[in-house]
Amino acid sequence: MRKPIYQPLLIYALLIFLALLVVIPLAAGALTAFKPQIIWISSPPTWNFVPTLENFEFVLIQRQNLLHLRNSLIVSTGSVTMALILGIPAAYALARFRFRGSKGLLQWLISLRMIPPIVVGLPFYVLFQTFDLRNNHFGLMLAYLTFLIPLVIWMMRGYFVEIPSAMEECAMVEGYTRLQALRKVVLPVIAPGIVATALLNFIFAWNEFFLALILGGRETSTLPVAAGTYVGRARVEWGNLFAINLIIMVPVIILTIFLRRQLTKGLALGLVD
Amino acid sequence: MSTFSQLRFWFYRLTQKYTHWFFIAPALLTLLLVAIYPIVFSTGLSFFRVTFDSLQRPFVGLENFVYILTDDDYLKVFANTLLYVAVTVTGSFVLGFGVALLLRQITLGRNWLRVILIIPMTMAPMAVGLTWNWMLDPLFGLVNWFFTTVGLPIQTWLAQTATARAVVMLVDIWQWYPLVLLIMDAGLAALPRAPYEAARLEGASWWMIFRRITLPMLRPVILVALLLRTVDAFRTFDIVRVMTDGGPNLTTETLSLFLYRTAFNFNKLSRAGAGATIMLIVISIISALMFRYLYREVEQR
Repeated sequence: MRKPIYQPLLIYALLIFLALLVVIPLAAGALTAFKPQIIWISSPPTWNFVPTLENFEFVLIQRQNLLHLRNSLIVSTGSVTMALILGIPAAYALARFRFRGSKGLLQWLISLRMIPPIVVGLPFYVLFQTFDLRNNHFGLMLAYLTFLIPLVIWMMRGYFVEIPSAMEECAMVEGYTRLQALRKVVLPVIAPGIVATALLNFIFAWNEFFLALILGGRETSTLPVAAGTYVGRARVEWGNLFAINLIIMVPVIILTIFLRRQLTKGLALGLVD
Repeated sequence: MSTFSQLRFWFYRLTQKYTHWFFIAPALLTLLLVAIYPIVFSTGLSFFRVTFDSLQRPFVGLENFVYILTDDDYLKVFANTLLYVAVTVTGSFVLGFGVALLLRQITLGRNWLRVILIIPMTMAPMAVGLTWNWMLDPLFGLVNWFFTTVGLPIQTWLAQTATARAVVMLVDIWQWYPLVLLIMDAGLAALPRAPYEAARLEGASWWMIFRRITLPMLRPVILVALLLRTVDAFRTFDIVRVMTDGGPNLTTETLSLFLYRTAFNFNKLSRAGAGATIMLIVISIISALMFRYLYREVEQR
């Protein structure tokens, strides 16, 4: 069956159209972040301007978003570190040991990803008031563990299944204990997987909005929450808004390009392997 | 053998036999604390009357459940959410699967196109909402600028009942079809070649190959994509909160947003708890059905 000549052209046209639907809003928004204040609200939007960093300076220093950036970094790295420490051993055990209920346990762990944040958000709010964990970095990290630990287990199990168990068995025959074998033989092989898992989890924690909104406070609100305060104002400060938006988006876009091969595994294939 | 070394030996046997539990316990206990305990607590809460301004929490039985299930707004928002789930899941699935199929037809620039197309999915929904708010702004947005250029009237997209719902759903699809694309792309890449070559020798049409080979082999992957999209769409909060905040007139309100408001704006914490419990039950039933179907599929292979 011969393909007509115009077919690839049509495919490219459609895909490029969809790509433009991504690139144009992002690029236009990014440019707005560099516009001087007087032309934020020119209508139609003008693209002829001298780029300035004043919006970034304003939001980071005057509007205290340096603090929110710091909060985002603390909460994301902290919660991801905790999730890795707790999740990696569990993922290892679920990949290597067959025991009664192991399959059910794995399915149950994966199903925790389905919990709507509102279901845990409400009780967290009440409990955190009791335990004085509201407006507290550690409290927010704990709340994030709800969705980060299942994700870590889900991803890391996939990486562990891929490397043959003969590796650590050989090491154990050579006289290593299981923990030594893990540290000296398995860890170096699995390291790229850990990095990918950490970064993907970082994206999820970094983007999280709902729990940060209800459990955070003045001192601990993260960047997405800070960006949310620009919504619904009578006069929206577009330049400032896009400056924050860009600070939220750029690290993630860089990580996405860097992680593009591992992304699928983290998001789906744990379920179908 | 001394008692001590007997004890050591016993301990050694114990650690050998239950090694896996030593590895799993920390994660499991943490999850019991941060996932299961809150759910139990929240369900318990919905049998009491709890507000922020009163320390008394009298037991009220099923009152909260009865109230919320007879609340017209809750039912309306539930229906809204179901419609939202149906439209955005279908939309993102069809578009994502379609683009995944198209991407396999080309070679030049495929990897770069794929990376660009999946970017929206990794963005914070908050940032997505803000970006589209600006794109759709009646005065300064690019969409209306485009409309005036081609001679169409300016629209206040997010303020009209007629357009707000459709626009929010479209933005949701824009953000999430990349997830389907990514999953289906991986699924397609993992398919064996042999059946295709056989079919081609038989002279099967493109449509026959798709219906009889691609679709059946992809079923587990399709189910995963649908499952993930469904549970995510069901709990939509961020995008709607940023773009319309549920308005105009509750047309775009989702369950999460409604329950958030019930708890934090109207100070009806336990009613929101009851609503959240019902929502959890519905999601659990949907995902349990899909899960069971999925594992039956996988085991049949």
